[in-house]
Amino acid sequence: MSKNKLESRIKQAFENATPDLLDAILQKSEQQKGKVVYMEQRKNRTAAMRWLTAAAAALVLCIGGFGGYSAYINLAVDSVIALDVNPSIEVEVNSKERVITVTPLNEDGKVVVGDMDFKGSDLDVTVNALIGSMLRNGYINDISNSILLSVDSDDPAKGAELQSRLADEINVLLQTDTFSGAVLSQNLTSDGELDALAEQYGITKGKAKLIQQIVAQNTMHTFDELAPLSINELNLLSSRSGVSLENISSVGSASDKAYIGEAAAKAAVLAYAGVNEKDITDYEADMDYERGVMVYEIEFNHGGREYEYDVDAVTGEVIRSDSDRDDDVYDDMDGDRDDNHSSPLKEQNTSDTAQGAQQNDSDGYIGKDAAKSAALAHAGLSVEQVKFVKCERDREDGRVVYEIEFKMGGMEYEYEIDASTGAVLKYDKERDD
Amino acid sequence: MLMICLTSVNDIRSDSQMLDDCIRAMAAGDSSGLAQLYEQVSPAVYGFALSVLKNRHDAEDVLQDCFINALGGAAGYRSAGKPMAWLLTITRNLCMQKLRERRRSLDIPEEDWERYIESIDRVTPEDRLVLTEVMRTLSDEERQIVVLHAVGGFKHREIAELMEMPLATVLSKYSRSIKKLRKHL
Repeated sequence: MSKNKLESRIKQAFENATPDLLDAILQKSEQQKGKVVYMEQRKNRTAAMRWLTAAAAALVLCIGGFGGYSAYINLAVDSVIALDVNPSIEVEVNSKERVITVTPLNEDGKVVVGDMDFKGSDLDVTVNALIGSMLRNGYINDISNSILLSVDSDDPAKGAELQSRLADEINVLLQTDTFSGAVLSQNLTSDGELDALAEQYGITKGKAKLIQQIVAQNTMHTFDELAPLSINELNLLSSRSGVSLENISSVGSASDKAYIGEAAAKAAVLAYAGVNEKDITDYEADMDYERGVMVYEIEFNHGGREYEYDVDAVTGEVIRSDSDRDDDVYDDMDGDRDDNHSSPLKEQNTSDTAQGAQQNDSDGYIGKDAAKSAALAHAGLSVEQVKFVKCERDREDGRVVYEIEFKMGGMEYEYEIDASTGAVLKYDKERDD
Repeated sequence: MLMICLTSVNDIRSDSQMLDDCIRAMAAGDSSGLAQLYEQVSPAVYGFALSVLKNRHDAEDVLQDCFINALGGAAGYRSAGKPMAWLLTITRNLCMQKLRERRRSLDIPEEDWERYIESIDRVTPEDRLVLTEVMRTLSDEERQIVVLHAVGGFKHREIAELMEMPLATVLSKYSRSIKKLRKHL
């Protein structure tokens, strides 16, 4: 079939398959106006209605900003205020806090701004209207309640004042009958790197800054992976996985109503592992974002073994499971992820797994110290020169290995040592940045 | 063949003017404007919505809401000679909204259009074959591009703009789609 013939066949097929909804559309559009309009009168009534609405809208802007006509507005940008929810919007204001431009940075942002014209309006009125539109359009609701406010001002004092004032205002607006919002706010200064990231991913500098912080503290994540997430997801991610956000104030907590909840995730894991809740110790649950989905990361000890699960936060399906002999108690290095337990927990850990620990001496493996020595010998370094960041026993391709990482002079070394023979199985050395 | 091409290009040009007139009539409250616009544009709107959402109920919702939004927005419409782009942008935003709602309600509807198209009298067995292949064989993006071009009369450059994709990507996806469809039809 020729290309043109094919195209016209496709056209015809879709034409025939399209339902006729014209009557339903006419009916619904009349209903939306809340009145029955006789056909012959429709012309005048609807035109008049539209004028009234337009006039009312214009009036609102005039009262709020006394001057929809902004002939004399000073166009020098003093501060940039960015709002991110999933819609991202940037508002530029002059020194008198009059709006110069409102720019939607993504499709959702365009929906929120719609055909509202804010030029010359007061900043507070504008923020109010934008938040109102986000609520009306369903971008902020009980299952996604977080917003990020970022203020970029040349004058730091003014930036701080704007940040706290607008954050308070937004917080008040988001106390609705059905839910309370969560407001993250920050005062930032542009730098080249931030500008480039924001530009590359089509997000605000504020969101770029937030993602930058999460990525810096959790190296499992990449910027690429987190850029499409909503502020609610990022807020959940940082608050539930122990990321501490510097220079970001947080009011309220991110909604997790879109997800099954920690209790359900715990139940799913216990059922999956076939263990009883009263038999587990050192239970820990975080939220994380892995392989494109939000997950509950659940860890516990049971019978001398350490179990780790990822549960899909939406479906409740266990998507990753891992279990290991619990020998964290021998791990005495700072900075190790497994070492982050508070001390009472750690003591408990020791007593609970005493049995497992005793076995460690006679299990036929060389032990962590010997594994570290093997790695150091291979690297030609001494124990005083390096800082260990990881030493864990794990199973790789059916073989028990020690995974060892350490740093020296701006370089990061990674080793895999055979736990039985002490042989170096794999190693890697790269600049530590 | 050249003749056919020329007429179809002219058709689209005059179509734009005609559609502009329809929208102006709608703004003035004349419902015949809406009827004419619906007749001309509904296959592209519906086809595109179906391409994105792959579910006829959702696509029908979008089709309906698109024209209701167009009615509401007609007064503010400023023609830049691109009435189709205006309508398809509305369609696209509505589709995005639907996808978001689905994510929220975790309700991913089944693909039920196949059974549905069998029940429409107007749809010939040949149409059914074409629709099935377009829906099944092509990836989401490929299908959207094909529908915009073949049903909506969009130029590849305009598709690139609407879908925020490089022109080269649109062109290569389009030609790949046509190849795929030819193999099956």
